[in-house]
Amino acid sequence: MTTLHLLSRSPFGTPLDSTLRLLGVRDGLLLCGDACHALQPGSAPLQLLEHLPDSVALHALAEDLEARNLMAPERVRVVDYPGFVELCTRYDKVNGWL
Amino acid sequence: MSTLNVAGRDLALDEDGYLSDLRDWSEEVAEALARREELELSVEHWEILRLLREFHAQFQLSPATRPLVKYVALKLGPEKGNSPHLNRLFKGSPAKLAAKLAGLPKPTNCL
Amino acid sequence: MTKSMLIVSRHAPWGGLSAREALDIALAGGAFELPVGLLFLDDGVFQLLPGQRPAAVEQKDLAANLQALPLFGVEDLYVCRQSLRLRGLDGQPLALSATPLEGPELADLFDRYDLVITL
Repeated sequence: MTTLHLLSRSPFGTPLDSTLRLLGVRDGLLLCGDACHALQPGSAPLQLLEHLPDSVALHALAEDLEARNLMAPERVRVVDYPGFVELCTRYDKVNGWL
Repeated sequence: MSTLNVAGRDLALDEDGYLSDLRDWSEEVAEALARREELELSVEHWEILRLLREFHAQFQLSPATRPLVKYVALKLGPEKGNSPHLNRLFKGSPAKLAAKLAGLPKPTNCL
Repeated sequence: MTKSMLIVSRHAPWGGLSAREALDIALAGGAFELPVGLLFLDDGVFQLLPGQRPAAVEQKDLAANLQALPLFGVEDLYVCRQSLRLRGLDGQPLALSATPLEGPELADLFDRYDLVITL
């Protein structure tokens, strides 16, 4: 049996790679939706996040973690939707990596 | 939807009076479109219309007012590339009206 | 006070609508005389490859449109050097003249603008 593998998506990196490259030391990061999978224990993205300077605040959206059966590591603050809104007001600007 | 009769042919216009099919454009069509706007095309109008067609050929889009003024200034000098001159020629809305007469799509980034 | 806006275009030109939408925002911002900057990041750098023929996939010529940016008043054009390098494009001729930025220069760029829109 042989398979033809059909590819049509970009073969290059994810928004997380670029975000981590551009992150200012006083910036924050909020993971929601599938981005929460970055918190999968033992995964490569989690390792990258753990190496961020302590001054960078990490957050994740509670319901998206719950839906994916993920636990947030200690340095990640879990927020609900009101917490999401509060975060948006706390920073000078918000940049959504869609 | 209306039509414009030029030399015995009925050309389709969109709801704003722009040519539906830009390939229908000719100098004669431009004159007919201008008459619909109660405008008499002078040499000065024509030099702007030709520039607009050049702009479209080069950039594949219709300029808003600001780039139109800049482009005309670049090609014909500042005494023609300024808003008062272009407003006077094209009844106060040069980007829209001149694009219409030059057979360009309606500019999208315009008030 | 008018707010300045950085548009980050990070998708290749023909695979979806993102590149077109980012350019439309930049052109509209420029037409309304807003201070606009445009950064080509990640696959967005593929928009700068010369010699592309979008007619083959029945798309409009984004590369031709990009050339109009300075006339629309959008003169602050930047490209991420690392994105170029990862794609084998560093040092290659590009279809648009954009300032290459690297590392902390990119974070500084984000800092300079009031708003950032990434598409």
